[in-house]
Amino acid sequence: MSTRPDGPLLAREEQQLVEGLLGGNEDAVRALYARYARPIFTLGLRLLGSAEAAEELTQDVFLAAWRKAARFDPARGRLSTWLMTIAHNLAVDRLRRETGVTRPHLVLVDEVPELEWVDEEEPLIERDAAIRALESLSDAEKRLLARAYFGGLTAREIAEADGIPLGTVKTRLRTALIKVRRANQDKERP
Amino acid sequence: MTCLEVRELLPEHAIGVLGELEHQRIQRHLQTCAGCRKESGDLGQAASTLAFALAPAPVPEGLDDRVVARVRRAAGAPATRRRGRTATVALVAAALVFASLGWGAVMAGRAERFADRAAQAQREQAVAIEHFQQVLGNVIPGGSLSDNETHIGQLAPVAAGTGGGFALQLVSPRILDFVMVIVNGLDDPSVLPLRVQLVNDRGRVLRAGRIDTLDANGGAEVYHQFRTQGLGGFTIVNVVDPAGRLVLTGTVDQSN
Repeated sequence: MSTRPDGPLLAREEQQLVEGLLGGNEDAVRALYARYARPIFTLGLRLLGSAEAAEELTQDVFLAAWRKAARFDPARGRLSTWLMTIAHNLAVDRLRRETGVTRPHLVLVDEVPELEWVDEEEPLIERDAAIRALESLSDAEKRLLARAYFGGLTAREIAEADGIPLGTVKTRLRTALIKVRRANQDKERP
Repeated sequence: MTCLEVRELLPEHAIGVLGELEHQRIQRHLQTCAGCRKESGDLGQAASTLAFALAPAPVPEGLDDRVVARVRRAAGAPATRRRGRTATVALVAAALVFASLGWGAVMAGRAERFADRAAQAQREQAVAIEHFQQVLGNVIPGGSLSDNETHIGQLAPVAAGTGGGFALQLVSPRILDFVMVIVNGLDDPSVLPLRVQLVNDRGRVLRAGRIDTLDANGGAEVYHQFRTQGLGGFTIVNVVDPAGRLVLTGTVDQSN
């Protein structure tokens, strides 16, 4: 199985990789790992606060992706979105399970101790595009999305914390996501 | 739920902050509503953009092999082709934990203070290294390990501290290098989490693992396999507290 090492994947390439994952094909798993393990691990580190927990999460994500692989449909969304949604959901579930609360503890990346492992560089093809897409947001919109996505705050919790109407928060969340979505459309798969 | 109700919740659904009940109700609606499904997909992609924008963190060595092994095991696929060069951490760790009585005897000594047991240290080291070789030899394709591939050192407390431990290293041209550190008698849980580091004579530091919890004997095990980094020369083993202060330290004798 071969895929291009960088650049967005075609829908059929994503489908091939997921089919390979379903069959336990080593090349497919390694290709998926090379593309997505690092952002998944990084998200785990950000949400869960330790390298050990982030590693467990990364393993769990690939295992969950294998379980759900038969249901992946590239016509309904990108592979990157699918995997990162699995990662985020698993991380939030874990935090809720461990803390007994609905809101995960926010750990800033800068607070995580420097890791001393030797780094094997892997391509991060999604990151530049993601940063460009987020530039379409105001600072207030970025903070709002970060409080929800990384802090696990619901719209109601944000509304109560800021003393603004719930409907306003929901509208702002939706507006911010749509802005990001529009910015992302410029880099849709070939 | 109506489409109106669903769409009001879709941003939070995409971000993943809704409760399980609302999540399930939305999922049921999405199964039958193409319009809301499209909206959900669009918002979900936007939400995942946040994760991709994070400054990337380095991924632990060997995680790729562990992921591949776990998925292939689940899928019922045969063992990975890289196994000839790789004795996986999980395999080795499991073998060490469940190994022979001899290894158990070494582990039993953990309840005591190693610093007070100098008279037995040499004998225990010989037993430990013998069993370390045996256990690793059983799980590594291609046979046994030689004395000059397996090394051991003792860890002692710094200043008036308590505790002690062993460090076992596999340093081999044939197998990925591996370290296992066993500590005990650490009676101050406030020093957690502890980090285990390997240091060479030029001061270069490798991270071997982190101790988040201690058992009733104040003990714990850490093991790590190094995918790209050989352990030759990394003879100093330090266990440090969150402030970077030494708690235990020792030297592995790699000269044998």
